[in-house]
Amino acid sequence: MIARSRGARIRSNVFAYANLAPYVFFVLFPFYFMVVTSFKSNAELYNLKSIPFWIQSGAIMDHYALLFQKTDFVTWMKNSLLVATVATTASVIISILAGYSLARLRFRGAGSFGTAVFITYLVPQTLLFLPLSQVVAWLGLSDSILALMITYPTFLVPFCTWLLMGYFRTIPREVEECALVDGATRMQTLWKVVLPMAVPGIICAVLFSFTLCWNEFTYALTFISQSANKTAVVGVTSDLIRGDIYFWGSLMAGALLASIPIVVVYVLFLDYYVSGLTAGAVKG
Amino acid sequence: MSSRARVTARRRREVGLAYLLLAPTLLLLGGVLAYPLGWEVWTSFTSLSPRQEGGTAFVGLENYRRHLEDPQFWIAATVTVVHAVVTTVAKLALGLGFALLLARPFRGRALVFLAVFLPWAYPASVSVIGWYWTLSPPITTAYSVFMGTLKYAVDGALGTGAWAFLSVTLFNIWRGSSFIGVLLLAGINAVPPELFEYATLESKSAWQRFWVVTVPLLRPFLALGVFLSLTTGFADLANVWMLTAGRIVFPIIGTHAYWLAIKAGEFGSASALSLMLVPFLLAALLVLFRLFDPPEREAA
Repeated sequence: MIARSRGARIRSNVFAYANLAPYVFFVLFPFYFMVVTSFKSNAELYNLKSIPFWIQSGAIMDHYALLFQKTDFVTWMKNSLLVATVATTASVIISILAGYSLARLRFRGAGSFGTAVFITYLVPQTLLFLPLSQVVAWLGLSDSILALMITYPTFLVPFCTWLLMGYFRTIPREVEECALVDGATRMQTLWKVVLPMAVPGIICAVLFSFTLCWNEFTYALTFISQSANKTAVVGVTSDLIRGDIYFWGSLMAGALLASIPIVVVYVLFLDYYVSGLTAGAVKG
Repeated sequence: MSSRARVTARRRREVGLAYLLLAPTLLLLGGVLAYPLGWEVWTSFTSLSPRQEGGTAFVGLENYRRHLEDPQFWIAATVTVVHAVVTTVAKLALGLGFALLLARPFRGRALVFLAVFLPWAYPASVSVIGWYWTLSPPITTAYSVFMGTLKYAVDGALGTGAWAFLSVTLFNIWRGSSFIGVLLLAGINAVPPELFEYATLESKSAWQRFWVVTVPLLRPFLALGVFLSLTTGFADLANVWMLTAGRIVFPIIGTHAYWLAIKAGEFGSASALSLMLVPFLLAALLVLFRLFDPPEREAA
């Protein structure tokens, strides 16, 4: 370890803060603005003379009340949670297998298989929902959250496979070869040696998949029509924007509440993520 | 059994296992995606439209030819490429910056980390409303007068729709740099710290260390980031649609195709248009795959 002077450490901290501050502002401003809007009375919201960035005439809960009393918000949240959990679990398991196979097992055509998996990413999603909705209808899943559980893995698996492939490659081959020489099978090696070492990568894949599911919009919008089967993101935007009428306050309230599970998931894993990083950084 | 035969047998088992592990992926992609992909390719050769009278005709490459002759296509193509390249470069630069800053411990890091994470973690379809609200305030307040003036100044200088396009780009960078930052942070996390330590001792300057050590070590993650950034940049639909309230003045290929299919009902033409991106993306993918998996390692 190279000892650094106190001055150098302070300088580097100041450098980090100074660089991050403008960005943190850039990042947080829209959220702040949404929070302010969600607690504002309509009278103030539409008042030309009011100041948009804070609340002058008292915060109100009306917009939140409307969300819980007049819409299926709770059901949407439940649907989102269910879809995201099932699709993420399935996708990450499938991707671990595929990623390991592509990263470690040498076979003819490993490269082309890898490319083939990603080709599916190349066809822009723009129009894919049209024929995909036919597939969903054939499977008898129209207007059901099962349709989303089946279709989400199609974009999660290529992504997670690539991510995990990168992770598996960072694990030194020698570790695995030791296990193999000791008589373990490939599957045992994967399960007992590789997976424990790839935990940060797997967590990363879970986080990303969960987020992608939770935030998916096009499929959730086109495959589902009943309000009771909608996901949170679609429910909030489709039921609170009616034609040209925007329920701005409730829209912001819904947008904020709908994202809480994501934030919770991140906070839960944050410790792990950061402590993993610190474990590395402290040594250096 | 000779040792050579044993090795061969093990190799064969391994190849079998490799296919077995890939099977679920292939089953899923083949079962769910094969038809939609095929449909899109086939449709691009036909005149399919829900509004036409009579049957759907096979028109060969007609749809493609018409796009190539259409000046609108070239405008959309230019805008798309500029949009994708600008956003990708900005996202990589910002993302790499965060990843490197956040890789070192400092007080309050967990909070900064969460803040950096938020734009990506937050549902785009919802945060885009926040942006719309911020950049193009729809109801009249003191704030919207100010933003309106700004919008007209930008549109006046760069042409109508410039503000909308700028807000799309800004939103894309806002969201994407967060994603890439976290992705690269995971990458840094995956590199054994000893490698970085060794590199610190060996290299002369921080700049040199960055190019000779950090970038090559992060290569797979950089490649994945660039690839995803390019595909979303090319096909970014929902966000453009929302931020510009459907009034698209600077069309990118994705929105143009969506417009053709949904508003104009020309499925054939729209499919052709969105498929015209594929060769470019494929080229990008192949280059990135090369970076990700250099041939000299494959030979081992």
